[in-house]
Amino acid sequence: MSRDVSDFYRSLAADADGRPLAGPDALRRWADRRARVRAAGGSLVAVLLIAGAATGTRLVLADDRGPVTPPAATPTVTASPPSPSPATPAPTTTAPATPDRTPSAPATGTRAPRTPTSIPDRAFFAQPAGLVAAPPYFTEGEPVLPEFCGADLDEPVVQRRTRALFYHLGTDRPETAVPYGSYRHTITIHRAGRAGDWMADLRRAVRECPEQEAASGGVSRQRLLPGGAYGDESLLIELRTPALTAGGTAEGETVRLIRVVRIGDVVTVLWEIGWEGTSSDRANVDDYSRRAARAVSDWLD
Amino acid sequence: MRDASSFDEFYRSTSRRMLRYGYAVAGDYVEAQDLVQEAYARAWRQWGRMSAHPAPEAWLRLVVARLATDRWRRLRGWQAALVRSGPPEAVPPPGEDAVLLTGALRRLPAAQRQALALHYLFDMSVDEIARETGVPTGTVKSWLSRGRARLAALLPGVSAAELEANDVA
Repeated sequence: MSRDVSDFYRSLAADADGRPLAGPDALRRWADRRARVRAAGGSLVAVLLIAGAATGTRLVLADDRGPVTPPAATPTVTASPPSPSPATPAPTTTAPATPDRTPSAPATGTRAPRTPTSIPDRAFFAQPAGLVAAPPYFTEGEPVLPEFCGADLDEPVVQRRTRALFYHLGTDRPETAVPYGSYRHTITIHRAGRAGDWMADLRRAVRECPEQEAASGGVSRQRLLPGGAYGDESLLIELRTPALTAGGTAEGETVRLIRVVRIGDVVTVLWEIGWEGTSSDRANVDDYSRRAARAVSDWLD
Repeated sequence: MRDASSFDEFYRSTSRRMLRYGYAVAGDYVEAQDLVQEAYARAWRQWGRMSAHPAPEAWLRLVVARLATDRWRRLRGWQAALVRSGPPEAVPPPGEDAVLLTGALRRLPAAQRQALALHYLFDMSVDEIARETGVPTGTVKSWLSRGRARLAALLPGVSAAELEANDVA
């Protein structure tokens, strides 16, 4: 049955209506506070511009194209020009994979990413063309990570979004081929300054849990692997579980990889969860990790 | 002197429509939220004069459209304010059709997105859109025609032939 474009706009309107917008009083307070800061901060902007130039940092002034005058049909009131936007320092580069850095030793000359409050779709990377086995979709309520001997890694967060990805390893797969594997891809905004602690807790939880009972039976073994430097810091977790045949007997092992990348207060988890018993492909995990880190960096810049 | 109560009433009565509009022209809900808040902040700053404006909502739409096409803007102030006031409320996942539409809209030029949003969300005629955007009616017709044809190609189940039959007058 044919549909009309207006059906889609109605859906978009309903979508927007279902989401919260701050109240007018909060907006007025914020606008007034910003106006006061701008009034007091003009000279500070100039200082920042000079300092940025001196350190070789490229500064980009926001492209505010000036005031919007009232509609032509209603010329009785002329809106005064809005204040110029503040100077916004731009990153010097957007590297696909930045060197591993620790929170205590940030790279000189770079600024810390801001702490965002919500995660847009563009924070999630695009899979390589031709390797998408099924369209990705967002999920809710799924665990971000497997259990590590019951370690409590839960903490209040600002926002978290998870999506499922399905992929092929090669572009020569027929359209109807089943995926090679799948990912659970989660982005979490931690409260300001807490993401580094969460990473340390996770690292400790894996180290203190080399073995545990696997959900599918048998023993699951997990460890931290070296290699890979993504974002401000990253982890690579390996899980090995007995590969069970249809009859329930063990036949080899299934290897899963999980990459965890922190950039500022944002943590990305790429949990490769396979497809009908496949094991993770390290090159694919590294490639998707690079893409995921780059997407988050681009979002935060 | 700015009258907070009249601004609050204006905000409450128009912000839902403005958010829909921002969503349609920006193609991303979070960006829409940012730029709509920014537009209202500008309105509040000059509310002493704006409150007497015969068409403040039209003025606001123009600000929203301009901000939406401004790729290099950084609207961090509002986000920083939200950090101080705590995490945002949980929001429902976007509807499938909305996702499809915003994905398609992101592949359209900004002027076409604006014209389509004014038509479909505000039920505006070609003449009204032309007045608001300050371009000839022929240009608006072209934006709408091309935009709808592109959407028909990008959205599932939409017939280009029917779109032409129902084209905007």
